[in-house]
Amino acid sequence: MSNAYLTYAAKRLGQAVVVILLAYIFTFVVVSILPGDPVTSVLRNPQNGFTEEEIAEIIAAQGLDKPIIVQLWNALSGFLTGDLGMSMRSNRPVSTLIAEVLPSTLILASAGLAVALVLAMLVAYGTRFVPKKYGQGLLRGFPSLFLSVPNFVIGLMLIHIFGFQLGLFRVINPDSFWATLFAAIALGIPVSAQIAEVLIANLDREAEQEYAAVARSRGIGQARLFATHLLKPASLPVVTVVALTIGELLGGSLITETVFGRTGIGSLVQRSVSTQDLPVLQAVVSLGAVVFVLVNLIADLLYPLLDPRVKIIGGRKRSPTTADETAIGATKAVTP
Amino acid sequence: MASQDRLTPTLLHPTTTAPLLKVRNLSVSYDRQEVVHDVGFELGRGKSLALIGESGSGKSTIARALLRLLPGGAAASGHVEFGGQDVLALPERRFRPLRGRAIGFVPQDPGNALNPVRKIGVQAMEAAALTGETDAAIRKALILETFAQVGLDNPQRVYDSYPHQLSGGMLQRVLIGLAVLPRPALLVADEPTSALDVTIQKRILDLLSRLQQDLDISLLLITHDLAIAAERTDGLVVLKNGSVQEAGRTSAVFSSPASAYARKLHADVPALNPDRYVKLRDPSLHRHEGGQAPKIEVSAVTKTFAVDGKVLTAVDNVSFTVPAGTTHALVGESGSGKTTTIRLLLGLDEPDSGKISVAGERVSGRSQQSLRSVWRHLQLVYQNPFTSLDPTWTVERLVREPVDRFRIGTPLERSEQVREALANVGLGEHLLTRKPGALSGGQRQRVAIARSLVLKPDVIVLDEPTSALDVSVQADIVEVLLTLQARLGLTYIFVSHDLALVRQLAHTVSVMRRGSVVEQGSVADIFENPQHAYTASLLESIPSGISATRPLVQPKQRRVARQEQIA
Repeated sequence: MSNAYLTYAAKRLGQAVVVILLAYIFTFVVVSILPGDPVTSVLRNPQNGFTEEEIAEIIAAQGLDKPIIVQLWNALSGFLTGDLGMSMRSNRPVSTLIAEVLPSTLILASAGLAVALVLAMLVAYGTRFVPKKYGQGLLRGFPSLFLSVPNFVIGLMLIHIFGFQLGLFRVINPDSFWATLFAAIALGIPVSAQIAEVLIANLDREAEQEYAAVARSRGIGQARLFATHLLKPASLPVVTVVALTIGELLGGSLITETVFGRTGIGSLVQRSVSTQDLPVLQAVVSLGAVVFVLVNLIADLLYPLLDPRVKIIGGRKRSPTTADETAIGATKAVTP
Repeated sequence: MASQDRLTPTLLHPTTTAPLLKVRNLSVSYDRQEVVHDVGFELGRGKSLALIGESGSGKSTIARALLRLLPGGAAASGHVEFGGQDVLALPERRFRPLRGRAIGFVPQDPGNALNPVRKIGVQAMEAAALTGETDAAIRKALILETFAQVGLDNPQRVYDSYPHQLSGGMLQRVLIGLAVLPRPALLVADEPTSALDVTIQKRILDLLSRLQQDLDISLLLITHDLAIAAERTDGLVVLKNGSVQEAGRTSAVFSSPASAYARKLHADVPALNPDRYVKLRDPSLHRHEGGQAPKIEVSAVTKTFAVDGKVLTAVDNVSFTVPAGTTHALVGESGSGKTTTIRLLLGLDEPDSGKISVAGERVSGRSQQSLRSVWRHLQLVYQNPFTSLDPTWTVERLVREPVDRFRIGTPLERSEQVREALANVGLGEHLLTRKPGALSGGQRQRVAIARSLVLKPDVIVLDEPTSALDVSVQADIVEVLLTLQARLGLTYIFVSHDLALVRQLAHTVSVMRRGSVVEQGSVADIFENPQHAYTASLLESIPSGISATRPLVQPKQRRVARQEQIA
């Protein structure tokens, strides 16, 4: 853990904080300039039966009569201290609402990621070992196939086949092991496509590298070559791809939860959208930004530790080639 | 030296007198296009044989065919008999045990031949496992012993390093070590030194020769350099376009080549023909002599860099002057400061102290904007024409870009200049619409030269302009450069690690080492009578081809294992 690495980590962390704040401000502004006034339209709904005085009281309590910049300031300082405001619908703290449903979504998303990784590895492994005549070409087509089928279609098919036909799980109990597994499969399939695509391309590239031929000249067989030589260098870029698919996982879980009838962030969002519960929506979007930025931060910080060739120069990550060129341009070249 | 019992080659019976390797009617095709036609040769036990030819001659393809490492889509036919077995007919399962154990392989580019994300020790274990030794501690000791044997200074440190932490010379030693560790009967070395400096080249070749004799290994050496082949091998097979042109005892082929192609190969090796271009080179010298101010003046230039908190002096108090119309060579190994010196000369870096002027204009201490006017007179030809030209551009656009950038003349005049520049380097107008991918290496480098000529500069900086090219193509480019100099009175700065080439085309030379100039003077003086030990060692490294009849027992073997420091 060198000094250069710590400087790099500090810089990346600072950038991450800035991005999260900007994302929060952005969603706040977008919500405020939306046409219509969701607050009063909810409150003035005759079914709710609020009197004008009560409405004014609520508005004052929420600070909605203040200038927009003050509102932003209040919301931002609340956000930073973990106070996400009150739901306009249920009159409960937003943080409580989210805390109730977050575990279910986290379980689904991580199970989905696990499914995606396993599936991507299987497909990529298959493209190296399944002979051409037994459908290697078909395997190579899998990623595009996975990517082009929307996950709600996959979800409905899985429910139909394994839920109704085979009776593996009961649709009315969406939190059971089997129901969760199939929801994770529906979620993981499209995500696995992107990972598999990168993995296959990288494996192909690594297999053509000179070192692969030289390793084979030492009597290394194909299976060992794959496991000990090709997999690691080919998987390194996958770290970045996995971080980028987090967005896919989060977005996908909203749809999957709806399809499988799970209670989670997805159902919370769905409810909040239909009732225009702005504080909840704002909080969920910001939470999404936080997760996305954090995961990518972890990936960036991990990369220099995984790849020995990556050098950190001046607080920046350098790819192997630029590092070499810098060295050659700078002084004593490392390799002639 | 290793214990004698491990010297017995695996799977082979040394009693037979038949040749170890017998290749008959070998043809190889890529996607049904035949690139190697009906090649045959024999290699005796403990003997050495060179396959020689330019790129595209099929020599590397033959090596890969013997090792059955051809890429997908390639097919080999014919017979490759190794120790009595037909290698091509064996199923993979039966051939794999031969790889490494019986046939070792030393690749061309050591920088890419080891897995970059795994430590060298782990990869060395793969080779050590081939010995059948079951105790991991003994295997490791074996590896360290082999590393020491191939002249690696600190075996344990090499063992714990990642490939990118070692220099090319050290990596090649590692690779040779891994290849000989399981004591194969045959070693296939595919241009083992073409990516290395001359001095390292000599040490690596010495090492190979020594191991070959000490361990009684047969060596199949693939090279494009006839001088190397002549120095190091008993037999020679000359290849062109996948066919054998000539084959025989090395001494015979070398001293009296029968085929036209072998004669051309002989003529193109700079080391064997130091005075080939004297007539072409020297008229320009006489014409431009006569008390002119020097075209290039570099005085007391120093440049330091801070790397990981340490100060490295890349260029240390370097001075030289170059008269107009002559060629000055900067010579040295990697890391000698050649590249930094030309970066300073081109104004790409600022020197810490010292002064540089080109054609009377100061280069150092100028703004980027005012440097542009200097660059019109000062152009660079880059080392590798395979990477320096944008593959999506046409030749016309590539050559035209500089005149467009500097807005010289009308568009019509610019097209005229492009044609003139192409004609100057001997390229026809039919190439204007081609892209670099459709050109040969020599043509590409001509395009790169045309690109630098189109601005009509006085000075061209040539950064190892032929190091990525074959000997025969190199001769071609040298001729183009000298013709241009004679006709246009150009001044060249020629950066190279190839002293034989420098001798052919430069007038004056600065020998650099670790950032300083160790010796300077006219090419004739330096080459005839080197004053500095380093210059002498560089000169000694030039393959001369003289030891064509290599004595079986060398009376006093020079210590090969000169230690290299971890970079």
